[in-house]
Amino acid sequence: MKIDVKHTAELSRITLTPEELEKFTPQMETILESVTLLKDVNTDGVQPMKAHVKFDELREDVPQESLTQEEVLRNAKHKEAGFVKVYGKVFGDIEES
Amino acid sequence: MEYDTIIGLEIHVQTKTNSKMFCTCPTGYFQKEPNSHVCPVCMGLPGALPVPNKRAIELCMLMGLATDCTIANEIYFDRKHYFYPDLPKGYQISQYKNPICSDGSVTLPNGFEVKIERIHQEEDVAKSTHHTSTSESDYSLIDYNKSGVPLIEIVTKPCIRTAKDAKDFATQIRQIARYLNISDADMEKGQMRCEPNISIQEKGRWEEKDGKILPIGDYELNPKVEVKNIGSITAVEKAIEFEVERLTKELGEGRKPIQQTRGWNANKNITEFQRSKETADDYRYMPEPDIPVIEVSNDDIERIKSELVELPHEKITRYMNDWGISQYAAEVISASRKDASYFEKLQTLLFEKLEAKIAAQEAANWLMGTVFALEGDKEIDMNDLSLLIMKFKEGKITKGKAEEMLKDCISNNKDISDELDMFEKSASDNAGNIQDIVKQVLDNNPKAVSDYKGGKEATMGFLVGQVMQATKGASNPNDVKNILIELLK
Ligand SMILES: [Zn+2]
Repeated sequence: MKIDVKHTAELSRITLTPEELEKFTPQMETILESVTLLKDVNTDGVQPMKAHVKFDELREDVPQESLTQEEVLRNAKHKEAGFVKVYGKVFGDIEES
Repeated sequence: MEYDTIIGLEIHVQTKTNSKMFCTCPTGYFQKEPNSHVCPVCMGLPGALPVPNKRAIELCMLMGLATDCTIANEIYFDRKHYFYPDLPKGYQISQYKNPICSDGSVTLPNGFEVKIERIHQEEDVAKSTHHTSTSESDYSLIDYNKSGVPLIEIVTKPCIRTAKDAKDFATQIRQIARYLNISDADMEKGQMRCEPNISIQEKGRWEEKDGKILPIGDYELNPKVEVKNIGSITAVEKAIEFEVERLTKELGEGRKPIQQTRGWNANKNITEFQRSKETADDYRYMPEPDIPVIEVSNDDIERIKSELVELPHEKITRYMNDWGISQYAAEVISASRKDASYFEKLQTLLFEKLEAKIAAQEAANWLMGTVFALEGDKEIDMNDLSLLIMKFKEGKITKGKAEEMLKDCISNNKDISDELDMFEKSASDNAGNIQDIVKQVLDNNPKAVSDYKGGKEATMGFLVGQVMQATKGASNPNDVKNILIELLK
């Protein structure tokens, strides 16, 4: 199975060196190949296993207290004036190939 | 070369719920302290479980019912992956193959039917603001209060052909959203966002099949342009017009347009290049494993249907057909639910005394002519207004005097029924000596009298006017006319 690891990495905003690409590509392909074993299983007539819920049982629209701003920001590496701060140009710093 | 314009619209509407789409955080984020309406779910923390909001889904269905869509009996959510700081989970919970509403339509005032492909439920992203700095690298500040607010996306088929129709469609969607209390749909506040996609194709060389634009023969379709950052309904029309002109010019100069996303610049009234889209978006959709399939019964759908009210376009047709109201007046009156309801109640009140059609036309005339112009924050009391209108219809007061009274009462906080009482009292005081006043007027206008006697009947209007002036409007012009005719015999 051939996969485009470079493209996948770009979608996740991860930069890989050519060496890394060469190393990871066969590794990921092996992983996917073992997963494709599942395709061989005959699932004819087997219902999809997915939980169902009745519309009426859905959550009612009642707000509850959120976390405090301090709690929210606790995991943020950078913060400023109550905001989470992230560095880097957001548009176009990784070109899609 | 002649071209056809092909437009599709994607409209996002934030729906009006108290809590977010998949968590219980409050939704009202406007002007709130940043990151104060956030929990592990809308922050995308590992292990947090999304729990769908029933009301949000009802509002999505309501929009679908109002636009003639088919409502699904099973609701599935999917994950749409992309990487961006405003999307903390790394994916947005949305719907891919099975939207809640599909195959709807909206008929525009000019009769054109816009086909709706789908309306699906998703969640809004966080708000990020971008900053440049001289002392450090560029950065963005992120507020997750908006993250997870319920959002519906309405997608039309590429069936729209003019910028005006696109604008009218957006207007109608906004009206429906407001009428049904689905959303305030304020574009400036970002509660409604319109993203048109536009292409121009050579006439006769393409066709539309099942909502897809296909080339005929060896024709190669021109790529489409998406326009974002549109902050008002008028900008929808302007941005499309600008793009059509830009694309036509580009093709005229022999350049091939490229598929791209552009941003509307409201200050310069132009669109600006944002990014090219050479590859198709790759969102790697997958079923959302944390949300079960939601079973919707037909009873559920019926219950939601009961929230539907008569919509503006239905009102317009009814006002025009049943009551003979002009299209323009019908459109203005039905533009807001509040005005339409005022109009209909006023019609009902007048209907006690007048024929239904006349009652409606009087109500429309008064609203369009005076009331809308006068009404600021204060609402004019409907009983008083109908009283005034009836006095006018009975010929007890002239329209001019009635309007003057209305204005005076609004701006000086006077009571219309009190004023009417006073007016009628002075009118009856006048009535006693009306004969004298008329005689006086005749004495003062010998020329008019001889003109009238000489056959110039139009002079009657002048004489009536003179009497009305002398009584400061507090007399019935018909009575005055009768007295004049009598005395001039
Ligand atoms: Zn939350």
